[in-house]
Amino acid sequence: MPAMMIPRPPLAELEGKAQWLALLLLAIGLHMFEAALPSLGPWFKPGLANLVTLLVLVMMGPRAAVAVAIGRVLVGSFFIGTLFTPTFVISMAGGLTAAVMMIAAWRFIPGISLIGISLLGALAHMLAQFVTVESLFIQQGVLYYALPPLLLLSCISGWINGALASYISARLTHEL
Amino acid sequence: MLQLLKGGKTDRLLLLVALSAIVFSWFVIQAQISAGPAMAEIYHGQILLATYPLPQAGEPEQRFQVDGELGETVVVLDKQGARITSSPCSTQHCVLSGAHRHAGDIIACVPNHILISIRGKSASGYDAIVE
Repeated sequence: MPAMMIPRPPLAELEGKAQWLALLLLAIGLHMFEAALPSLGPWFKPGLANLVTLLVLVMMGPRAAVAVAIGRVLVGSFFIGTLFTPTFVISMAGGLTAAVMMIAAWRFIPGISLIGISLLGALAHMLAQFVTVESLFIQQGVLYYALPPLLLLSCISGWINGALASYISARLTHEL
Repeated sequence: MLQLLKGGKTDRLLLLVALSAIVFSWFVIQAQISAGPAMAEIYHGQILLATYPLPQAGEPEQRFQVDGELGETVVVLDKQGARITSSPCSTQHCVLSGAHRHAGDIIACVPNHILISIRGKSASGYDAIVE
């Protein structure tokens, strides 16, 4: 009688999971790197972790992208020591809103490239942070007075990150 | 890579719309808050605790202890502007953000629910407005 074998999933499925995990780890690393950047202020970050969400979206689809957005904030915040603090809530709201906005743009806006998707994601991320703070922690409309210059920075970082994502995804799929 | 930075037509259109909306809202906000003397408004959550004029050059600095969710935040107003010098929060982003004195600037300590907002430009004649 042959020994009982645990059935193994097909290689392609394993490869996909390994790729997703590698990108999740990259996103967690970038999340922690961005948290350690001192000079850019508490509101603005370059959005490199969101760039990974965008890459996962175009390579593996919306579900994988949302899972990376949630996973990197959860694990990244655990290592930084901000898990379940206001910083965590703001990061989660920003990351998830950006992911949902990028999925919507990717699905429904014809002719948009990764640059446009990244731009909308960056703007949604910044807006979501302020709405979260205003609704949960400091209920003051004056918070929004600080938004325009930060949104301007988001436009720049979103555009550059989108170009980077185009380059990286093209390299990953051997088009360049 | 530089070629990639150009983006497509749809991307450029989106950028144009976003920039127009941002610049328009910036002008509207600045027009609303730039008038009058330079003041620092100190909030805790939903409550406006106090409004103080920012000291001009030669005027003494002012120091306040503000009670928040976690404990005491120390706010200093001097000729450089308003800043938080001590906070019970773990991140210390509010302390590290330094002094601010331009209309529209904010200093927020989200964990402690403390916000300082700057409005106005010119020299002030008030001592304090407390609510």
